[in-house]
Amino acid sequence: MARTSLSDLLIVDADVHVHESPGALAPYCDGPWDVALRNVADVPERYLDIPGFSPGGDGTLTARFPTSHEGTRMVHTPEQMVAELNEIHIDLAVLFPDHLLKLAVLPQAGYAAALARAYNAWLVDQWTSRHAALLGAIVACPQDPEDAAREIERYADDPSIVAVYLPCAGLDPLWGHRRYDPIFDAAQNAGLPVMLHSVTVTSPVFPFNNHGFDTEFARHATSHTFAILANLVSMVSTGVVVRYPELRIAVTEAGISWMPFICNRLDKEYLERRREVPFLTERPSHYLKKVYVATQPIEEPERLGDLITLMELYEGEDTTIYASDWPHHDFDHPMKVNQVPFSEAQRRKVFGENSLALFGIDRTGARR
Amino acid sequence: MTEVVVGRLADFPAGTHKVVEAAGREIGVFNIDGRFYGLPNLCPHQTGPLCEGRKVTGTLTADCDSDWNPRWVMDGEVIACPWHGLEYHVPTGRCLAYPAITLRSYPVTVRGADVVVTVGGRRA
Repeated sequence: MARTSLSDLLIVDADVHVHESPGALAPYCDGPWDVALRNVADVPERYLDIPGFSPGGDGTLTARFPTSHEGTRMVHTPEQMVAELNEIHIDLAVLFPDHLLKLAVLPQAGYAAALARAYNAWLVDQWTSRHAALLGAIVACPQDPEDAAREIERYADDPSIVAVYLPCAGLDPLWGHRRYDPIFDAAQNAGLPVMLHSVTVTSPVFPFNNHGFDTEFARHATSHTFAILANLVSMVSTGVVVRYPELRIAVTEAGISWMPFICNRLDKEYLERRREVPFLTERPSHYLKKVYVATQPIEEPERLGDLITLMELYEGEDTTIYASDWPHHDFDHPMKVNQVPFSEAQRRKVFGENSLALFGIDRTGARR
Repeated sequence: MTEVVVGRLADFPAGTHKVVEAAGREIGVFNIDGRFYGLPNLCPHQTGPLCEGRKVTGTLTADCDSDWNPRWVMDGEVIACPWHGLEYHVPTGRCLAYPAITLRSYPVTVRGADVVVTVGGRRA
């Protein structure tokens, strides 16, 4: 049977990035932090690296050789975003930030919380309210969980906000810590899923103490995947998954191939150490298999059918969701995921239907 | 086999490349020190616009002869796909990350002041 063409599929993209700049956020930012944003508004920007805003760019550690790889693509307007997503057949997209991927590394809690509030207001005002295809994930500031909970309540009924983004890069402590309970409580009450998203940073906090690696090759591979692994292990081992049983959890930008590993690894530990996690009433994999896993950067084994085997190993037919990560350097065109020899039912679920369930939206992007 | 005039010699200074259309195909035409090469403007990885990469560069290699230290090689002969950075050696079409992949090449000749691309022949 002929494979469904991309234009005939409903494609929901669980991870797309807008480009926010200090100058753009300043009008939305509370004082005195708006002054600091205007002060760096004209600072030349290295990719995702602005002093006092998104410090510690991942591209600043290694020697920079010339290349025609366009590793610094950015999207500045909703019109540009819609046009570019149309090109790759995306119907609905959930927006994440660029610079605020590194929000968790900022040491000033008051500043970080003000940035989060400014970004959320800007995101709704400048992006998600401007086009029906553009949906938003508001950011939860880990440095001030009570303020983050208030933000979730503020946007709980916004028709264009469908998720809460949990920054992972440089986060300390990990998302399982009970200090974050107000965020999970608010998200569960709002019916909004939480979405973990990391990025490459080098920081003393686990698992970003990656200065031992020589290359971006190594740091990038681990900063994303290890961060997601560490946070899911944290959230299972502290009981987030049982304290908030209705909370929907999703992870992005880590691929899928680690899921069978962590399910089996934690189940094995549980045999011996159940008494350390006595609040779990099922094996750890029971909870992990409820986590929605975004495909990007999708592994590309020679036999693409191996991806179906991997998905089946974590029983992920209803929890695996397509993401492109547009416009970033490692984005996945849906054509690659469409090459996987899914059944047609699996294909429709992975490309769209699973995300409709995760985000609680209908096929037009309207919240249910 | 179709021969298509894709421009004037002056349109392709040495050290430059551009994407042209010939017989319905997008082809990157490269002038490397006066030698001309044609490659499809299509990366087989995820269909990226390979030849729209802005500059042809060199790349790094390391082997026993360099005591495993990196060396800058193939200067002016490597195009990286703007989408994901997969590198190709323009004169041979060889993919550097996946040696089993070699792009087809389109013969490019200079005829008087015209640059001519040949398409539709047997796979090179």
